[in-house]
Amino acid sequence: MKLSKEGASPFFTRIGLARGGVFIVALIVMPQLFPQHWIWNMMFFTVLYAAMSVSWNLIGGFAGYPSLGHAAFFGIGAYAMAAIFKSTHLLTNGWQPFFIMPLIGLGCAILALPIGLIAMRTRADVFAIVTITLLFVAQTLGYNLKSLTGGAQGAGLSRAPFRLDIFEQPFYFAAVSLLLLAMGIAYFITRTKLGMALTSIRADEDKARGVGVRTTAVKVMAFAVSVGITGMAGGIWAYYLGFIYPQFAFDPLITIAIVLMTFLGGRATVWGPVLGAAILMPAQQLLAYYVGGSQIYLIAYASIFLLIMLLLPRGILPTVLSKRRLASLAKQGNMSGISSTPAITGGSNS
Amino acid sequence: MSVLLSVDNLTKKFGELTAVDACSFTVEKGSITALIGPNGSGKTTVFNLITGYLPSDSGKVEFAGTSIQGQSPGTLYRKGLTRTFQQARVFADLTVQENLVVAGGGSWKNLFGRRITADDRARASELLDEFKLSHVADLYASELSWGQRKLLEFASVLMSKPRLVLLDEPTAGVNPILIETMATHIRSYNAAGVTFLIVEHDMSFVMRVCDPVIVLDRGKTIAAGDPLTVQSDPRVLDAYLGD
Amino acid sequence: MHTLIQGVILGVLTGGVYALMASGQTLIFGVMKVVNLAQGAFVIASAYLAFTLFTQFGIDPLVAVLITTPLMFGIGVVGHWLFLRPLRREDATELSILITFALALLVEGILSITYHTTYRSINTSYANKAFDIGGFSVSAVRLYGFIVSCALLVLLYVILQKTRFGRAIRATVQNPQSATLLGVDSNRVKAYGFGLGIATAAASGSIYGLLFPFNSGSHYDLISRLLSVVVLGGLGSIGGAVLAGVIIGVVSSVAAVTWSPTWSEMTFFVVLLLVLLIRPQGMFGRVERGAL
Repeated sequence: MKLSKEGASPFFTRIGLARGGVFIVALIVMPQLFPQHWIWNMMFFTVLYAAMSVSWNLIGGFAGYPSLGHAAFFGIGAYAMAAIFKSTHLLTNGWQPFFIMPLIGLGCAILALPIGLIAMRTRADVFAIVTITLLFVAQTLGYNLKSLTGGAQGAGLSRAPFRLDIFEQPFYFAAVSLLLLAMGIAYFITRTKLGMALTSIRADEDKARGVGVRTTAVKVMAFAVSVGITGMAGGIWAYYLGFIYPQFAFDPLITIAIVLMTFLGGRATVWGPVLGAAILMPAQQLLAYYVGGSQIYLIAYASIFLLIMLLLPRGILPTVLSKRRLASLAKQGNMSGISSTPAITGGSNS
Repeated sequence: MSVLLSVDNLTKKFGELTAVDACSFTVEKGSITALIGPNGSGKTTVFNLITGYLPSDSGKVEFAGTSIQGQSPGTLYRKGLTRTFQQARVFADLTVQENLVVAGGGSWKNLFGRRITADDRARASELLDEFKLSHVADLYASELSWGQRKLLEFASVLMSKPRLVLLDEPTAGVNPILIETMATHIRSYNAAGVTFLIVEHDMSFVMRVCDPVIVLDRGKTIAAGDPLTVQSDPRVLDAYLGD
Repeated sequence: MHTLIQGVILGVLTGGVYALMASGQTLIFGVMKVVNLAQGAFVIASAYLAFTLFTQFGIDPLVAVLITTPLMFGIGVVGHWLFLRPLRREDATELSILITFALALLVEGILSITYHTTYRSINTSYANKAFDIGGFSVSAVRLYGFIVSCALLVLLYVILQKTRFGRAIRATVQNPQSATLLGVDSNRVKAYGFGLGIATAAASGSIYGLLFPFNSGSHYDLISRLLSVVVLGGLGSIGGAVLAGVIIGVVSSVAAVTWSPTWSEMTFFVVLLLVLLIRPQGMFGRVERGAL
């Protein structure tokens, strides 16, 4: 992290803009180089999960409130999409559902407000309790509100009328837009006082409240935005598959996957969750291809997570960045007073 | 002089234990008031009650003439009443400079403004220079020594230009040179119009810096007055040496 | 009226089992300030163990408790040593939640590969027996399960009140710092406390397996209920957990007979939200503020 010594901290740095530009170009070009369907499919899931990890990071990483209920909002977004298909006839050229997505996101965010206000009144552990319970409740509703969800038999959406040889592409680019939105928000947070407020909440919430940080508003807002993006991801996913079942829409695996991606890459950073998703999602797809069976993922995800917590608790990016930072401090002869490394490298890294 | 803070019959029980027992005292505007007493006499609890970290069972607290009963620490902070903690609490994952900026208060609109504005930086660097923390401005607070953390916490509560600062043992675990630095800062900010209420164990510090002194014992105010009078008060000697 | 009373009886009997599970859960929170999301998974693992011991060796599930309890205690102690002890203090609360969640999924994954995901139930000779008490039918498994739960709760109470180890645990729950000053080895207390908490899952698992059909995913349902019970009772309060277990057992059972069994599963969540809204510290919890 480099701060200029005078004036306001910048919104954009040249290197940050360059990095963002290269990333966007790569997202557009990369799948064209390997135009097989399975590559598009893998890229779609990687980008979708990256978007969800970045959004989980807003509340779980920056604010230190580990949500276990994001899969609930993913499923709610998915079923909202299914419900919209059931009640209206949107499909003319296939693009309309993507434009409805923001409404689904807004709906999820509004739903999250009362839950956040109640669950975040006391402590992070109570928040975890409420969110995991919420996941179970949503799952039960998914099975039992048959008129809305079709129960265990699943709910069908009309198949998107895209040409088969480019079928994945619209979904992929929808996911890319969502990822860029999520990263944009995360970046904005690191560059404004919101980021400092969230970091202070994670570090010491009582103290933060005591120095005038508007803790409740900031964390509830972060939660709402976070699940809003997750709900939209659910909507895109449902439209892509065309047929959804409660056990996949409200799958705890989704939660553990995005948490794991965030921790692997580095929480409370803009790029960490993207890095984590880029490593884990292709790995999972390959595992699925060679082994199959979701119980294997369960064991694999859980064991990798436990290993990361023990061996690399700060994640890849913060570990690398703090090494670089210490080296540059040593070069400046500015080591006086360093007594330990920071708990996590907070703030911006781009 | 006028009264800035008045505490009237404040009471707090933890189960069987009465930590603060009908405690009353006032803090004059512009003073450096000490709150002393033996271990467990309820000093920190009084701080927690005044600053809204704990709800009181009964009693009244008035700040600048209005009741501040039941108000949150954040609200009080914005009104100009702020505090430090015995174990200096700073935000480990923020840099030293950011620790100051985040404590600078700020409006809703500011939340969406730049992380550090030119104004923030100017105000922070003033304090950093004064507290001799400029050379560590870009280090994370977790990388500071204990004494530096105490200084940082003190400096950060001054960011909001408070009227009353409650210091909880500013010299605890701090080396003698830094104790003098603390005393100097307290005096100079007091001269600039900030009122202090200080919990402190170091009696020589209290005698040199504070006037008046309030003595608590078992949650009750047992004496108040200038340092010399209080020092020779038999009830105070009893409280410290007695039983 | 008859169905209502029947529902209450059923609720009390089921609530006793919840009380046992939740007492372990809340004990772990009290000692370690860790919300153990794997408690449900360990209950289901114990149910599978009881299932195997019954089908392979013909051991009655209520007798199998004698085997599964020490085993679960050991798993708890090792699990604490391996995963929870290494956490650094600053973010221990946050990370321990995620770690126990990962543990729960690990256990679920292992169970679903070992036993597949079809629902199992343990069909003992007394599985369909019922007693007629004053015109109300009380099934034998529920009654036996309730009796065993109560016996174990009494045993837990005795351990906590009468033994040195129990006193160390209670001291740690009340004030970890002064407990350390009084010479309590906090790491050992935490490890054994965690083990003891997980050990209650063993017996609960046997009883749960007798009462309900289960599969590897059942732990989500279970953990949601347990967490609601523990929050209602007040995190860290064992007496609170026992009372809350019975209350929630009765409420959901009455909701099941008077309304619909499906929606009775929602009562947990409703209770949880209401508690957090009205009295976030639960019935017997202490108000904690980080400032102190």
